[in-house]
Amino acid sequence: MISFRKLRHIRILAKLIIIVVLLAILGIYHLKNGKKKIDVQPAKIERISTMVRLSSMDIYNEVPVVDTINNKVICAIQKQKGSISFDVEKLRIDSLGDTIRITLPHEIVELYESTEPNAWKVIDTKPIGPLALIQTGKLTNREENQVKARIAAKSKRELYRNGTVRRARTEAAANLRSFAEKLYRKPVIVIEN
Amino acid sequence: MKFKFIYPMLAAIALSACSKPDSNALYQELKSTDKLVFASMAISKTATMESPEIILLGKRVAVYSYNTYMQAYIDLSQLQPSDIVYNDDNHTVQISLPAVQTELAGRDMQMHRVYENVGLLRPDLDSKERAQIKEKANASLQREVATNPAFRNHLIDAAQRKARQYFESLVEPTGYTPVITFKTDAK
Repeated sequence: MISFRKLRHIRILAKLIIIVVLLAILGIYHLKNGKKKIDVQPAKIERISTMVRLSSMDIYNEVPVVDTINNKVICAIQKQKGSISFDVEKLRIDSLGDTIRITLPHEIVELYESTEPNAWKVIDTKPIGPLALIQTGKLTNREENQVKARIAAKSKRELYRNGTVRRARTEAAANLRSFAEKLYRKPVIVIEN
Repeated sequence: MKFKFIYPMLAAIALSACSKPDSNALYQELKSTDKLVFASMAISKTATMESPEIILLGKRVAVYSYNTYMQAYIDLSQLQPSDIVYNDDNHTVQISLPAVQTELAGRDMQMHRVYENVGLLRPDLDSKERAQIKEKANASLQREVATNPAFRNHLIDAAQRKARQYFESLVEPTGYTPVITFKTDAK
C-alpha cells in the first residue's frame, strides 16, 4: 500500500519530469530554429576569359532529383541552364577551287544551375538502410556536390540521347555557312566532323 | 510556374519509386540561337550563415562560395549582307557588327565550403540551409549586376576587343583591311 506521502512525492517527481522534458523540447527547437543570420559579401569579378564560340542552342531544363549517396536519399528539383557551342577559333578552313570548305569542330556542351529563383530546391533528405534509425539523413556539402555532378552528367547524356546535340550541330553548320558566305562572298560548304 | 504545385507530388512519387538518379525532365525548353560569344566573366559570391552562439554548446558558423557566369555575345542573325561592305578600290572592308549583348549563363552547381565551425552539440548544416544561402547570394548578385554597370562594361570591352581581333584575322588573309564598328544597343 502506497502511503499518501509517497504518492505526493511521485506526483511531484512526475511534474518535474514533464517540466524537464518540455524544457528539453523547447531547447532542441531553439537550437534547430534559432534565428539564423545570412550575410552576403559583395560580388567579386574572379576572371574574364575571351573566346570565339558559335552557340547554336540554348537549353533550359527542370529536373527532379532523387539520388542516394552513403545510405542517404536526397529529393530535390533543379533548374538547369546551358548551351551547345563550337570553338570557332579551331575551325579548319580550306579552299576547293572557288568554294570555301569549313570543318565544324566538336561541340562544347555546358550545363549550369539556372540563376532563376529556387533553382535548387531541396524537398527532403532521409537516411536509409539498416542504420536508418540512428543515422543522420543530412548530406554533407561534399556528398551534395557529388550528387550534383551526377545530375549534370546524366542531363548531358540525355542531350546526346534525345538528339539535341545532333540538332545543334546541324543548325551550327547552317549558321556558319550563312555567316561565311556573307563575309567571303563565295560559296561555302560546312562539313560536320 | 504552373508546375509549382505538382513538384512535391512528383518528387514524392519519384522518391518512393526508386533510389537511382532520375533525369526525366519535368520541363525542357530548347531554343535555337545564332550567337557568337566573345567573352565570359566569372563572378564569385561568398555568403556567411551564423546562428546565435550558445554558451557550452558552441558556435554555428558556415561560409560558402560559388561562381556565376556572365557572357557577352553578338547575335549573328542580326548581321545583314549590307553590314559587310567591300571597297575594291582601296581594298578595305567595312564590317558593322550587331551590338554586344550580355546575359547570365548560369551558376556553378557545386558550392565551395570556405569555412565551417559547428559546435559538437549543434546540428550540422543541412541541404535546405545551403540552398537558402545560395538563394540569398543569388538574389544579391542579381541586384548588383542590375545596378552596377561596371560588370557589364568590363565584359563588353573585353568582348569588343576579341571580336575586332577575330574579324581582322578572318579578313586580313584576303588582302583587304578591315574597318570594324559595332552598332549601338537599341535596348
